[in-house]
Amino acid sequence: MRMGGEREERMDKKLIGRRDFMKSTLAGFGGLFFLPQIDLKQEIRVVDAKGKEKKFVYRTLGKTGIKLPAINMGVMLTDNPNLVQVALDSGVVMLDTAQVYQRGQNEGMIGEVLKGRPRDSYVIATKARLPNNQTTGLYTDEATEEAFLKKVDDSLKNLGLDYVDIYYHHNVWKRESALYEPILKALEKIKKAGKARFVGITTHMNEPEVIQAAIDSKLYDVVLTSYNFQQKHYAEVRDAIARAAQAGIGIVGMKAIRGGSGQTPIVKNTAAALKWVLQDPSMHTIITGFTTFEHINIDLAVMENPTLTDDEKRDLQKEVSVSGLYCQGCRQCLEQCPEHLPIPDLMRAYMYTYGYHNLTHAQDLVLSLNLPDRVCEDCTQCPVKCSVGFNVSGKIRDVVRIREVPQEFIA
Amino acid sequence: MKTICLILGLIIFLWVPGAEAKDFRFPEIKGWKQSGEIQTFIPKTLFEYINGAADLYLMYDFQELKVAEYLNEKKASVIVDVYRHKTPTHAFGIYSQERLSDANFINIGAQGYVEKNVLNFLTGSYYVKLNSFNTGAEDEEILLNFAKKVSENLGEKGRLPSILSSFPEEGKKKNSEKFIAKNFLGYSFLHSAFTADYGLSGTKFKLFVIEGAGKDECKDMIQKYLQQTKSLEKNIAEGRYTISDPYHGEIELYWRGGYIWGILNLNDPSLRSKYLKLFEEGLRKRK
Repeated sequence: MRMGGEREERMDKKLIGRRDFMKSTLAGFGGLFFLPQIDLKQEIRVVDAKGKEKKFVYRTLGKTGIKLPAINMGVMLTDNPNLVQVALDSGVVMLDTAQVYQRGQNEGMIGEVLKGRPRDSYVIATKARLPNNQTTGLYTDEATEEAFLKKVDDSLKNLGLDYVDIYYHHNVWKRESALYEPILKALEKIKKAGKARFVGITTHMNEPEVIQAAIDSKLYDVVLTSYNFQQKHYAEVRDAIARAAQAGIGIVGMKAIRGGSGQTPIVKNTAAALKWVLQDPSMHTIITGFTTFEHINIDLAVMENPTLTDDEKRDLQKEVSVSGLYCQGCRQCLEQCPEHLPIPDLMRAYMYTYGYHNLTHAQDLVLSLNLPDRVCEDCTQCPVKCSVGFNVSGKIRDVVRIREVPQEFIA
Repeated sequence: MKTICLILGLIIFLWVPGAEAKDFRFPEIKGWKQSGEIQTFIPKTLFEYINGAADLYLMYDFQELKVAEYLNEKKASVIVDVYRHKTPTHAFGIYSQERLSDANFINIGAQGYVEKNVLNFLTGSYYVKLNSFNTGAEDEEILLNFAKKVSENLGEKGRLPSILSSFPEEGKKKNSEKFIAKNFLGYSFLHSAFTADYGLSGTKFKLFVIEGAGKDECKDMIQKYLQQTKSLEKNIAEGRYTISDPYHGEIELYWRGGYIWGILNLNDPSLRSKYLKLFEEGLRKRK
């Protein structure tokens, strides 16, 4: 389908402009997904883990100076004290809990496990939240400084400790809430009273906004944030984390293997998913919520070597592609198609259509490819075997229909 | 004729009284008005309401949450969260994870408890959580009234899982029973289990029971547990096993039919035998 004359010339110019845009978008996506290997200047510590000598990668939690192995334990999902014992004996240092988990019983269980262990052998992080409007994320009148101060005392009692290492302002997704004066004042008092060595903030949604607020507050020492390869906005989260780390804030990652809001519940290759997060030099440690001894072993292996292998990279790319949108640009399909169709470009058009819902881009791209009138119709069977399992002919037949849609219906 | 019977049967089936009230309505409460829209959350969006705590609810086969807020003229508010889980057992599971054994229990639904600004209860496949604000001295009365009305709209209240009655009473810490939905003892092959805490003369220990789909599944679990703990046996038969678990110490367990029951953290051999026998009697009576 070709348009004539002046309009075509304008379209070509437009297309060139859009082609440049498309190229830069794709390069940006590909470039950010796997970071180049750099010397992270990580400390390797020899640790006695259940009688065996292990070498674990350690990183420093920002200006707190706390040195932690690459993986630590989110205790939320278990009430099994032996699991926590084994985690600590195996080299995990930080235990992450919250007053709201099992209504204080999770802290209580941890308190029992910690009895008799040297105080400087572990790091405890817990959290508190106050009533807020669940729709707006903003605090209500019940959210007072006094109410927040009482919560830390409850947690210390549950844990049987005089102080925690990190006390978090829990589950924040709005800048205004991150900077809510009564809670900031409470956190300052908690730190001054020695009930927490450091204070932090946690977030599962609008992470970049909350992380920026943490930076701007100049109060928070640590940020605990969702961060995983499935996040659509992982690039923005990555940027925010980098800025926070630059400002000296310690960065703890979570939901690395368990998706957050709107995501797949759990990934297939957990080690790869953890390593993907740890490839980021701004990420100081991750907490994972393991519930089996097998999970601990997977995490211990990552603590020894957090570098992604090529196989693990392929596994992650496959998982991202499982949604059926992201062509990896391997170009293996080009040789396989007897009609020499520009398959990677057509897959990109498919992504624009169904991923970004940008029909204008999709149509521009498809039109620019100068495809024959009959596409995929003369092959009884498609010989193309896509490296990430796409149904190539199905997607092509689907997306080329956009040629027939009048432009005024799309713009 | 057959078609008519089929249709009638279908209608009757769909209309069975006591069927889950999936489309229940939040009740009208005198003196209170619903504020805003009712919010609905599904497994993929539960994070948006309870953030990281969602993981635990998902482990208990959470299906749907409906949230309503009520306000009165005195600017007090009550938020009603109605969590629906796949089965009454799963609802009990998440309820049991959050209840404290020394809570102030009340007779609402299958069981509930109330404290300042909080009332949680279990009814059928639902776990209901009420939170109140600015209710003053009438807080408990208000919460109880809300709970009663909500409970009435949620269909059959059901009861606590019947298997709990099999746990021996002697030394049991009341209301300490829990349902662990997955990875019991930290092993993926042990699926789920019910547990209860015990105390005798200063010794604290735990009893558990695993309900398998049948004899074969139980045999499979025992076999895998023995393999895991390198306690290999040639013939896996129903009966008693003493397992040296590297993580949990010595565990005494018994397999019969579709049940595996056992004891954790109890060194006294005679007490172990006593409790295993009591448990077996409890399971027999349950049938």
